Amino acid sequence: MLFAPPDPDILARRGKILAGLRGILSDGVVSEPAGLAAFDGDALTAYRQAPLACVLPRTRDEVSALLRFASAEGIPVIPRGAGTSLSGGALPRADAILIGLGRMNRIVEIDLENRCVVAEPGVTNLAISRAVEKDGFYYAPDPSSQIACTVGGNVAENSGGIHCLKYGITTNNLLGVELALPGGERVQLGGKTLQPGGLDLLGVVAGSEGLLGIVVEATLRILPKPPVTRTVMAAFRDVPCAGLCVANVIAAGIIPAAMEFMDRRCIDAVEDYCRPGYPRGAEGILLIELDGVEAEVTDAVAQIEQIAREAGAYEFRAAADEAERARLWAGRKAAFPAMGRLAPDMLCMDGTIPRRKLPDVLARMAEMSERHGLGFCNVFHAGDGNLHPLIIFDVMKPGELARAEEFGAEILKLCVDVGGVLTGEHGVGVEKRDLMPLMFSDTDLAQQGRVKCAFDGASLLNPGKVFPMLSACVEQGHMHVTGGRVPYPNLPRF
Amino acid sequence: MAHFAIADETQLVEAVCAARETREPFEIVGRGTKRAYGRATSIANTLDVSALSGILAYEHDELVITARAATPLSEIEALLNQRQQRLGFDPADWGPLFGARANAGTIGGALSANIDGPARLRFGAARDHLLGYRAVNGLGEVYKAGGRVVKNVTGFDLSKLMCGAMGTLGVLTEVTLRVYPRAPESATLIVRDVGTEDGFALLRRVWSSPFEPTGLAYIPDCAAKPFALGDCGQGAALMRVEGAAEPLKEKIAALRTLLKGRALDRVDNGEAILAQIGAGAAFLGRDGDIWRLSVPQASAASCVERANAPIWFADWAGGLLWLGLPATSATALRAIGARAGGHATLFRASAESRASVPVFQSESAAHATLTKSVKAAFDPLALFNPGRMFEGV
Repeated sequence: MLFAPPDPDILARRGKILAGLRGILSDGVVSEPAGLAAFDGDALTAYRQAPLACVLPRTRDEVSALLRFASAEGIPVIPRGAGTSLSGGALPRADAILIGLGRMNRIVEIDLENRCVVAEPGVTNLAISRAVEKDGFYYAPDPSSQIACTVGGNVAENSGGIHCLKYGITTNNLLGVELALPGGERVQLGGKTLQPGGLDLLGVVAGSEGLLGIVVEATLRILPKPPVTRTVMAAFRDVPCAGLCVANVIAAGIIPAAMEFMDRRCIDAVEDYCRPGYPRGAEGILLIELDGVEAEVTDAVAQIEQIAREAGAYEFRAAADEAERARLWAGRKAAFPAMGRLAPDMLCMDGTIPRRKLPDVLARMAEMSERHGLGFCNVFHAGDGNLHPLIIFDVMKPGELARAEEFGAEILKLCVDVGGVLTGEHGVGVEKRDLMPLMFSDTDLAQQGRVKCAFDGASLLNPGKVFPMLSACVEQGHMHVTGGRVPYPNLPRF
Repeated sequence: MAHFAIADETQLVEAVCAARETREPFEIVGRGTKRAYGRATSIANTLDVSALSGILAYEHDELVITARAATPLSEIEALLNQRQQRLGFDPADWGPLFGARANAGTIGGALSANIDGPARLRFGAARDHLLGYRAVNGLGEVYKAGGRVVKNVTGFDLSKLMCGAMGTLGVLTEVTLRVYPRAPESATLIVRDVGTEDGFALLRRVWSSPFEPTGLAYIPDCAAKPFALGDCGQGAALMRVEGAAEPLKEKIAALRTLLKGRALDRVDNGEAILAQIGAGAAFLGRDGDIWRLSVPQASAASCVERANAPIWFADWAGGLLWLGLPATSATALRAIGARAGGHATLFRASAESRASVPVFQSESAAHATLTKSVKAAFDPLALFNPGRMFEGV
């Protein structure tokens, strides 16, 4: 990965810049190396870089003032929520001000009559659901880092999660934002209504990875909790059969709330780690969650059992009670740390493919694994074809890292070749930035780049992310885990 | 005044490149069913894209369809129907309200005008269903955005921008949409003789229930006749739920429990009635201007009272108010909308009115600047539908 060298002129002005920042924020300017080290990256741990300074505003006016200052001084700005990005979305630069939104963590309004919650950007994803659960509502997007990740980060990354198969990702559950533009002005895009007028700027802000503005407030749709939720598990002796089952469930007109896949290596690791009760010896299992009214769920479970058995499932069982349901999901959520215990190093990929290509792609990944001489395991959101292959390697063995990266790039290329995309939910960030040309032509990228310029003509917001640099050193990106240590080890990973 | 009928994407690029030389803009026309919607313009040249028609790929097991942009919506819907599938955003047929033929609109037109219908409440708007597209921009370049899978965060989500842009950002040539399974059955229930405030409160209760309603409309006495609902007293609250036979029975029973004390009847032709609601059928055969007010649901009753329209009705549990009021009500209506945190669109009016009254609600200065910059990012010479949305956009 090639990074632009820091601007020596900005580095030379550091003292003056810090004084300017302290003039805006009476407290909350971090400038000491030890303090800055806490903000030197996110969950894409392969890359670390302390920022020039970190500022922690408490109000939207402070955010505006900081942006106005940075813009006047020509200093790049990196927005940061909780720093859980898997693609380096919050990775600082040595010549940039990092704006941490964590102190803006108030829920501004819970409006049950209009089924929405208005929140500041630093509120965590889970806090939204927690705030409305006693009234029978929840916020649907549920990225695996939901206990830590923030609303502002979710909007920037257009976060998904297990339940987005049925309920959509952030953009489909976002009614409005107040956005601070690079020059400090603020605009309200959308609100509590269903149909914002004018150009759908809200739509392009969602998922813009902090390149277009800083969200200082978001209005989120909340959903009524379904009356019945049931989880079933189907076990297969053959991985492509599980893929076939997934495609057939969707083709039968059933949209489960979630449909997740784990392969044998993963099942064994998870069983060793926390014993969720998966059948050892299965080549793959599917965890499928259904929700709705009782008859709807009962119907769907019966249909899915038939489809699964026709596809070759040798075991099919429904969680008997809430405790068993929780156990089945705990295993899925532990997949990443469980694998981390076994492998010296791992790369986590994030492509999406058309569902019916699953059997073919799974078979071809197995073939690639042989060719590269590296093991891998598969654990992914099968319902929407979002793959998270984990490539296992040992960075201490000469050449293994390079082979792992080649293997990973080959997987993502395969995803694009079969009609899929580079990233389903982790974002492009710095991680997949240089792979963008696999999916988009120069013309396609230039059109996106002009939208960036429309919002941020001076290119000061989160520079170096998403779009490949002109002289890109094409290197495949990844989430790098060393010695079994994963970033945020206490967070479940999908 | 010239009419350019292009046969394919190559000719489209040629036409745009020629227009770049002459600096003469186009009005983009598919099948022309919504030419009377939006701000009135006086663009001399028309760009007829109706030949860009045809379904390119329908993968029913992937819940995805790709079609050329001017493919008739009716063709797409007929094909989806064969597989018990549908477009989730439920695009209504606005044609007749604008004096055009029924069922004649194109998919590109529906997306560009961000048309949806009653089921939008459950499945989202047009913009939530466009997964990717090909288009020609104002530089005369063919480019693509998005992809053909539902879960995708690769690059900027330009598909959202194209929906509702009224053709101001470019000419769509191909679109890929997600589709949904169509429930085997539906039931439309009616509560009769319910007042405005009471009716909206009742619809919001159903909206907040977990029974996934796909239609929640309120028809007051003044608008009831065209829907042939029989005697509705002060007004009728309509609610549609869907599912296979057994789940549907369970949902109906649950709604009866939720709304206990109310007489809940089932209407026979619910699907047709909801289609009419999406199409604004209360105004069919009537002259006069129409406004659409988009407001937070809980403000619907007070907005209706303040607007005091002689004929009106509501969709989306009160989130959308159709009002029969003259274009000259603009200031009053926009104040009502703004007070509730919503906005008003002059939906149907004479070309003179649509030239003098802003059709879409004006934006704040910073917002308007951004809108102009985004327009210029796609169409720097303002060749596509200039002025159709806002003056100077």
